[in-house]
Amino acid sequence: MRFLIISFSCLLLASMAHVAHADGMVVDKVYHPYVMPFEREVEWRLVSRQTDQGNVLAQRAGFGGAINDTMSLEGYMVGERDDNGDFGLASYEVELRWQLVEQGRLWADWGALFELEKQHTIDAYEATTGFLWEKEFGRTSLTMNAFLVYEWGADIDSEWETEFRLQYRYRYRAEFQPSIEVYSGEDFFGVGPGFIGLHRFSPKHQLKWEAGFISELSQSGKDHSFRLALEFEF
Amino acid sequence: MNKWIFAFTMMLCLPSWLAYGKEYTLILKDHLFYPAEIKVPANKKLRLLIDNQDNTPEEFDSFDLNREKVLYPGRTSVIYIGPLSPGRYDFFGEFSPNTARGTVIATEDKNADN
Repeated sequence: MRFLIISFSCLLLASMAHVAHADGMVVDKVYHPYVMPFEREVEWRLVSRQTDQGNVLAQRAGFGGAINDTMSLEGYMVGERDDNGDFGLASYEVELRWQLVEQGRLWADWGALFELEKQHTIDAYEATTGFLWEKEFGRTSLTMNAFLVYEWGADIDSEWETEFRLQYRYRYRAEFQPSIEVYSGEDFFGVGPGFIGLHRFSPKHQLKWEAGFISELSQSGKDHSFRLALEFEF
Repeated sequence: MNKWIFAFTMMLCLPSWLAYGKEYTLILKDHLFYPAEIKVPANKKLRLLIDNQDNTPEEFDSFDLNREKVLYPGRTSVIYIGPLSPGRYDFFGEFSPNTARGTVIATEDKNADN
């Protein structure tokens, strides 16, 4: 019952945030506000968005790790396939995640995210900053991200945007934690089921996985996104 | 709508001093936790102080408690847990999972460890 009440509250909150605006693919990943010292990881993410106009596929590969007790730095290369079926390198990105408070110390946990992205073939940049937030409710966890984005460059119009992401998961078992996810941006308000999990191979090696199927709700046309993320930590 | 956003923001900012609980101390020595079982009161926020007396780092890991924390050698680390429903919550040391194991037992009776 509590799961349903919180889920409904999350949807209500996300709909209030629907004044948010952002271009491109809003569905990506909901970030958690935690950093583990000593941890390094390689990461691969995929988002496939199917609309009436066709399919857009984005993949990113990243490598990074903790640089101190509370910060992690990760670099990505992003590839995209457009409507013509051409897949190629689209952009580069560097991302800094900062855990602001000790987990469980405050009523909720806070972190911050800073990203800088450069498009590969055109003179276009994107800087993102925002808060990462997480709160436990018994065996469930509510995670929210709120981002402010600024785009600039000679080949694009400069603009400010906002994005909102939400994940409410039930920590059923380490390997399978079902969730509800919400993504909000310009002309996009998507909701759908997902799950995350992890498997530990040895004391210092583990694989995390995340997947979600998000349906856009504010438009009448077809707009479904499937996302998958794999992280190998060592 | 602005007042709802303001109220929600204030709710997120509520600090922990509104509901702080007791401290419980554990020792990690020779890759073993002492005591291996600790009773705590249910439905309270608590602090686990873990004194790592080994010469190597350890990583406290508990899916049940939803916590991961690096325990540096020769230092005392603080892990904030709870409020917990009555029950057993297993934890282990990720670098010595066969030996460094323990359980937090949350109970509503008054026999919780001091």
